[in-house]
Amino acid sequence: MNRHDMKDDDLQRLLQEQPPKPEADTKARHIAAAMAAFVAQQNTQSASEKPAEDLSTHSQTASEEKKSTIVQGFLQRLRLTRDTNHHGDKSMNNTMNNNGFDNRSFWQKPALISGIAASSLAVLAGLTFMQHLMINSDEQELAARIAEQSLNKSVPLNVQEPLADAEVEEIVVTGIRASLQQEAEVKRTANASVDAVSEEDFGQMPEASVSTSLQRIEKIAISPKTTAEVRPMVLAAPAPMAEEIMVSQPPQEFRDRFENFNENTVIAASENPVSTFSIDVDTASYSFLRRMLNNGQLPEKDAVRSEELINYFDYAYPVPKDRKTPFATYTSVMDSPWKAGNKLIHIGIQGYQLAASDIPQSNLVFLLDVSGSMDEPSKLPLVKQSMSLLLETLKPDDTISIVVYAGAAGTVLEPTKVKEKNKILAALNNLQAGGSTAGAEGIALAYQLAEANFNAQGVNRIILATDGDFNVGQTGDEALQDFVERKREKGIYLSVLGFGQGNYQDEMMQTLAQNGNGTAAYIDTLSEAQKVLVTEATSNLFPIAKDVKIQVEFNPNTVKEYRLIGYETRALNREDFSNDKVDAGEIGAGQRVTAIYEITPVGAQSGLLEESRYQQQNKPDTGKNSEYAFLRLRYKLPSETQSTLIETPIEKNVLLEALAGYQQEVNFSIAVAGFAQLLKGSNYAGDFTYDKVIELAQANKGKDEFGYRTEFVQLVRKAKIAKEM
Amino acid sequence: MTSTNQKELIRAAQDGDGQAFALLLEESYDTLYRFAYRWCGNRADAEDITQQACMKLALSINQFRFEAAFSSWLYRLVINCAKDWYKSQNRHQHDNIDDWIEPEPTPDQTAENRIYLQQLLRLLDQMSDGFKETALLVHGEGLSHAEAAAILQVKESTVSWRLHDIRKQLQLLQQQPDGSWELSL
Repeated sequence: MNRHDMKDDDLQRLLQEQPPKPEADTKARHIAAAMAAFVAQQNTQSASEKPAEDLSTHSQTASEEKKSTIVQGFLQRLRLTRDTNHHGDKSMNNTMNNNGFDNRSFWQKPALISGIAASSLAVLAGLTFMQHLMINSDEQELAARIAEQSLNKSVPLNVQEPLADAEVEEIVVTGIRASLQQEAEVKRTANASVDAVSEEDFGQMPEASVSTSLQRIEKIAISPKTTAEVRPMVLAAPAPMAEEIMVSQPPQEFRDRFENFNENTVIAASENPVSTFSIDVDTASYSFLRRMLNNGQLPEKDAVRSEELINYFDYAYPVPKDRKTPFATYTSVMDSPWKAGNKLIHIGIQGYQLAASDIPQSNLVFLLDVSGSMDEPSKLPLVKQSMSLLLETLKPDDTISIVVYAGAAGTVLEPTKVKEKNKILAALNNLQAGGSTAGAEGIALAYQLAEANFNAQGVNRIILATDGDFNVGQTGDEALQDFVERKREKGIYLSVLGFGQGNYQDEMMQTLAQNGNGTAAYIDTLSEAQKVLVTEATSNLFPIAKDVKIQVEFNPNTVKEYRLIGYETRALNREDFSNDKVDAGEIGAGQRVTAIYEITPVGAQSGLLEESRYQQQNKPDTGKNSEYAFLRLRYKLPSETQSTLIETPIEKNVLLEALAGYQQEVNFSIAVAGFAQLLKGSNYAGDFTYDKVIELAQANKGKDEFGYRTEFVQLVRKAKIAKEM
Repeated sequence: MTSTNQKELIRAAQDGDGQAFALLLEESYDTLYRFAYRWCGNRADAEDITQQACMKLALSINQFRFEAAFSSWLYRLVINCAKDWYKSQNRHQHDNIDDWIEPEPTPDQTAENRIYLQQLLRLLDQMSDGFKETALLVHGEGLSHAEAAAILQVKESTVSWRLHDIRKQLQLLQQQPDGSWELSL
């Protein structure tokens, strides 16, 4: 924790915190026990009052003191104490001094007392808790009770009316038995549409209606205070769509949120010859689906972003020799493995690797989510381990700060040099998970720290580790996005590491990382942490170019139709390409990006689009019929605001013999692309199968130093099994 | 419940009317529990203390003399039970880091606050006798110094002085990197 003085207001604030309500069970138990004691006390009192009256010399207080000691003796027996000694005493009394035992007055005999206690307990329990027990008695009564309660809380009538009406309508439409209508009537009159719906009825209602009923029951189940808070939301969306309910209803695994997107479609080169997109070096999608597949589940289609699968692997494209342009571009053309007649255009971009001496200083702020939802083995502990791994790759003079957020955000570690590693590790290891998630506040605080410690010569970056749940504060994706974007212009970048499953907010993570000029990675295992934070640390931390955009113009004379595989979420407008104001993806040191187009050459019969009947087929011969397309690439150096343009024609017949091993890398990336298409259930997957993916991948595994490609083959096998299930 | 109503209930209970006592306990239970919770800051201990307080209430309702407000009397009851309970706990177990009870999350409490509250309560435990209840009554329950003084049966100026002293003591403390509070001298 931050060095922090205990302040006056802390004292008051902490002590004022409202304790939770007692549990009803415990309360009942305690009251019952106290009642038993009370009754026992009264019995002794009435019994002892007689002698007290006789001995009239005793003052009132004295007799009371006496009574209370007697009673304490009683309670020794009533309480279930751990001390069993009195049993021993008893038997000793019985054997050695029978009289002594029997001499005790009748009310002191344990058996009798427990009898009195039990019976009086039963009677009183009956009296006192009848009203509580009534809850379970009858649904109609329950309805009435809840209605009464909600009326007592003066809930405005008109708030619930439309809801009740809507529900009644639904019921009528689906023709559910008459008794239900009676219930509906009860509901309407009761002004609490919830309670009269019996469990049995749920099954007979249409889906939407069931969920709305359930939702309303939840609403009533919470305390009146919160109900009042929830109500405005209900008003704002009085009739939730069926799809929305489907999202919220299924169990945990499906609460992961992904941006919906449609797969790129086939486009006629004659109608729209230009394709523009931003590069994407993220890999989050691959590790997420690896996790799903390892659990034997197929990932949902929106979770599969083909380009992130393709870019996960460390293709050994030749490193640029010349530092003037930060990266080299390679293009090649080959036959499509999934559709005879089609061809694939493969574009590989390789960034240069920074020499150790060129690596700039870093000012890193770890922004760690320690909310309650992070309290799982695959979350906070993995975050801690990942951050320790990252520490290993940093230089002694780099600075690290740690900000955590849960219900509120706080600085755990002020900027500290990496050479004080023990201090950093101690701060990391002290973290505990709990509370809600004030993500927005945490981000603001992290930026504040990064700015305070801004290193103009080095890299300033916030590394956010979260399961993606931002449930407190200004959490609109767009508001946060704007904030991150403004800070990016000041030179502070943001990378996102996603953790855990069940509530993973992928869309939010992607948005933040894209706007923060950072990468979004998903850490499912320690080896993934190793890959992202150690092996590829320089790529992920040190950008060599930003706003990298790719534009491919197809030659309508040679290409009939084309389709970009992946990059759906990164598509740009044609005019965005030359507009330096438009943000795009970054490339880190040594990073590589792969993009694959599938094309149907003119004359091939494999196309999907019909020839236009009316459009003039007057394609001017430009004399460039040896080219399929023309690749344009724009990038900015990290410190620049003006973009630089690289142009390369994509020839029909590219000779790759000069680049040893290159074809193998290309083939592997195509195997990955094919796998992505199969997982997405793509319409363009042709006759490709998981077996063919395995075959192609196995043949092109290469050295596979880290085993990622072998793992890929395993994953394809798992996908095959999962599909068959 | 009106005060006359409550008085009648108390009198009936003192006369041995079980139902009256049940109602009275039902009414008082939440106060007992709330203050017990404030005292220890976790549910398990609060339940133990509350149970003791309920028993004590059953046994000593006759001793209530209507000299002070019933609520004041209840506070005193809980304070006594809590102190007894802590004494009995300390007899059996020594203060040990392993005994740390992870406070269970409550909806409107944040993680840090739970931890800070635990630390604060421990600090108050270490202070002189009477300080903790003074802080809890005034800052926690929001009572005035006079009301707290009546409950604790001390002078109002003593309450003010204790609160002042608590603040002074807390300000001398600084949080260590390991999260504990120590004197920063």
